[in-house]
Amino acid sequence: MSDAELVRNARTGDAAAQDELVRRHIDAAYRVALSLTRDPDVAADVVQDAFVKAFGSLDGFRGDASLRTWIVAITANEARGFFRRSQRRKEASLDAATEVASVQPDPAERAVTESEAARARAELEKLPEKQRLSVTLRIEEGMSFREIGSVVGSSEGAARVNYFHGIRRLRELME
Amino acid sequence: MTQIRCAEVRQMMPDRVTGRVPADGSRDFEDHVARCADCAEELDLVRILFSGRVTAPAGLADRVVVAVRPRSSRATRPWWGLSAAAVAALAVGIGVASEPGPLGVAAGLGLASEFEEGELWLSDDGLLAGVPEFEALSDEALVELLEDLTSEIGGGSGGAA
Repeated sequence: MSDAELVRNARTGDAAAQDELVRRHIDAAYRVALSLTRDPDVAADVVQDAFVKAFGSLDGFRGDASLRTWIVAITANEARGFFRRSQRRKEASLDAATEVASVQPDPAERAVTESEAARARAELEKLPEKQRLSVTLRIEEGMSFREIGSVVGSSEGAARVNYFHGIRRLRELME
Repeated sequence: MTQIRCAEVRQMMPDRVTGRVPADGSRDFEDHVARCADCAEELDLVRILFSGRVTAPAGLADRVVVAVRPRSSRATRPWWGLSAAAVAALAVGIGVASEPGPLGVAAGLGLASEFEEGELWLSDDGLLAGVPEFEALSDEALVELLEDLTSEIGGGSGGAA
């Protein structure tokens, strides 16, 4: 069933449709929340608040963007709101073992070791927020630069520049 | 043969790595990466980042599913799905409790000395049952319960004529 159909059913209070929408998009929301908060516990809280907010305003979803982009944007706003409320940014505790535990490698590709993935994630977290988010959304969520711009709050061109600057910086850090 | 530039190849990398763009018909891409060490290195990084992406922790989806559910559907439960505390309070009030003794859920709540197993109905899932918790009832259920009680009280009368 498509997102549009699920949204239509969820608006009528169909619990099964709501459940499916949550399960379909929770990983993307969590990755964005984690990218911004760099704290797994805070990210989980942010995701929960974001979904509650999204479902509370599901009637307002017009379908201009994909549902995933819409949820990701709400999640990003929630994460930023968390920082505004707390007025502090917790430094990343790079618990690589936890973060790569759920890696789902593609067997068709060259085997990426856990240590490589952990190191890349650690270096990714060192990038400025917009670069970090642009790289995350482009590679992990497959979003277009236009979609990334709508989430980050920038133009499509700025999203593109942020992505390529981020990648270039990451390559330097990984050398 | 069409030659594509590094900028085009780099744009395509995320979609290629994630499989969002089918591999067939991308000979130019493959040829370019095979010849260009710079692009090959970047492709490797994109691949590593994609492979290392995290997923939501186990249990978060369940937590969110409960959180997004409308309050009405979370609060409403069958009238026989009672809280032990409600049963305890009502049971004391109606004199169900008698002799001390151990009792599943009630024992866990420190109620062991107040109830005896044989005096209460225990459902298979360990929930105590048998006395309604009125606050959790919908209007329809309350009406239904009231009708049941009324008919029981007036049981011998044969109902309204």
